[in-house]
Amino acid sequence: MNYIRAIIIVFVALLTSCQGSDYEYDDTPQGNLDALWTIIDQRYCFLTYKEQQLGFKWADLRAKYSAKLNPQMSRIQLFEVLCQMLSELKDGHVNLFTSLDMGRNWSWKEDYPENLDTELRKQYLGTDYRIGSGLKYTILPDNIAYVVYESFSDAVGEGNLSDMLVYLQLCNGMILDIRSNSGGELTNAERISRRFTNEKVLVGYICHKTGTGHDDFSDPQAEYIEPSADVRWQKPVVLLVNRSCFSAANTFVRNMKEMPLVTVMGDQTGGGSGLPFSSELPIGWSVRFSASPSFDARMQHIEFGIEPDVRASLDEDSAAKGEDSMIEAARRLISSSQ
Amino acid sequence: MRLASSLLLAIFLLLSASVFAEQAEMEAVPERSPAARTLLLGYGWANQLDTYLSPMDYSGFQVSCLIQSERMTRLAKRHISFQSTFQGAFTSTENPASTARYLGGRIAYDAGWHYHYSPLRNLDLKGGALVGADLGFLYNNRNSNNPAQGRVSIDLSLSAGASYSFILPLWRGHRLPMQAHYQADLPMIGIMFSPEFGESYYEISQSGVGHDIICAHPGNALSLRQLLTLDFCLKRVTLRVGYLCDIRQSNARSLKYHDVSHSIMLGFVRHFQLMRMKSEK
Repeated sequence: MNYIRAIIIVFVALLTSCQGSDYEYDDTPQGNLDALWTIIDQRYCFLTYKEQQLGFKWADLRAKYSAKLNPQMSRIQLFEVLCQMLSELKDGHVNLFTSLDMGRNWSWKEDYPENLDTELRKQYLGTDYRIGSGLKYTILPDNIAYVVYESFSDAVGEGNLSDMLVYLQLCNGMILDIRSNSGGELTNAERISRRFTNEKVLVGYICHKTGTGHDDFSDPQAEYIEPSADVRWQKPVVLLVNRSCFSAANTFVRNMKEMPLVTVMGDQTGGGSGLPFSSELPIGWSVRFSASPSFDARMQHIEFGIEPDVRASLDEDSAAKGEDSMIEAARRLISSSQ
Repeated sequence: MRLASSLLLAIFLLLSASVFAEQAEMEAVPERSPAARTLLLGYGWANQLDTYLSPMDYSGFQVSCLIQSERMTRLAKRHISFQSTFQGAFTSTENPASTARYLGGRIAYDAGWHYHYSPLRNLDLKGGALVGADLGFLYNNRNSNNPAQGRVSIDLSLSAGASYSFILPLWRGHRLPMQAHYQADLPMIGIMFSPEFGESYYEISQSGVGHDIICAHPGNALSLRQLLTLDFCLKRVTLRVGYLCDIRQSNARSLKYHDVSHSIMLGFVRHFQLMRMKSEK
């Protein structure tokens, strides 16, 4: 009988010991704020860094924003309070998605000049430019290749890259214009980078959270770019960037900065070095946040962007004359290196 | 969902009514038949949690299928049986606010041996071990960079069960021979795939899944499958109705997971008499 009793106890224990979430929050304004605060507290990967850089204490923000709540507040009022709390992080990868609006902090690009005139860019491309999936390219009159890549979400295959590089092979150099490219697939960034090196290059590190503590991280894993076995570019490259180069575009700039023939020109990039994850609140709203930080080859944060090798900006007087001063500066740099 | 539940209930009642109407043709359910093959289809309630995808509990329905075969072997004076079970399930669940949905799929296969012991003529107890493999996924229709989670595990389970034959008295002296079965399978040791707390697909693709294979045991993956069934005969067919309680869970690497389902199962059993080939004599 003792055996039977023991078996019954084990089974009852099993039935009642189901792994429950540690996340017992009500769908009330306070419950939703507490849930959001906890998600960021446990899963956001830049808390320690942001606290140092931006001067806030995440532990204090729960009380600060709880004071703005009341049980009768509307959904849009709750949304605004939650967005205010998230905006303290100043992270473009942190969003609150609702049917009302998308919460965001885009100060990384909105607070700075864009340094891009798309109409001017069209003039440089002309009308007979080639399109290789997401790549648009042409040869400028001074025999310099001009390549525009607007989004890393646009797939670029090995065949597209090889065909482009063969077409441009007699050019004196290349201007690769990724201004206002706000990111996409990291695999595209890696695939393109491989065409600009003849050796395996250490470009950075990546790690992820291993627990709920602010500093619970895995050992940084080195990231290398291996040279492509196909056609590779062997001439000077100027990579044009602006503040709107974010996320995968930021990672691409990090990679290209380590390539010997590449000069990064323009403004500081927008940053966004954390791979994002999604979660949700009791009210049903989805929240996105940075979960895995990546670093440059010297283990420095690139969350707030990467400094260019050569500073350049779009000159309005030149623009009025139909000239993109950044493209012109890049042309001069390539011509002078011949 | 309600329509499907009503349909299953209606089928069950219809079959039960048919059985009562056909009492003249009732037959006893074979006790510990030499070989039996069972097909059960089920519908039930499911509750899922996977904190890699969301901290919220999702609830919904599950449709499942269970194919089980069992045969007595000649081992230990015909006291040992071999059993194999294939289980497939599809779940559709949603978060409490009904703004996101999980779609999940799972297939599992296990096989092993049971030792049988009959303390009473109509009671058969069994205990043994099963080796199983489990493959599944859970997809969240709203997440961007962490939209799905994979489930892979191989384990060794302890298994115990009982069968009890009895006669159910009905009206006007009619009687219905029935057989109740119960089996519980408890995974004891194995391996399973589990990413780390915040590990991204990108990192997994870069470094492989080798370091994400971890040891599974009741301390971090306390799971249990229980199947309670009732057999009764209709003409020459043994019908089986039952209840399947399947609890799969883990708590590893700061990630919690559970997939709990309670299903009504309905199907039939085919009993076989194993014959020897002449050439084997």
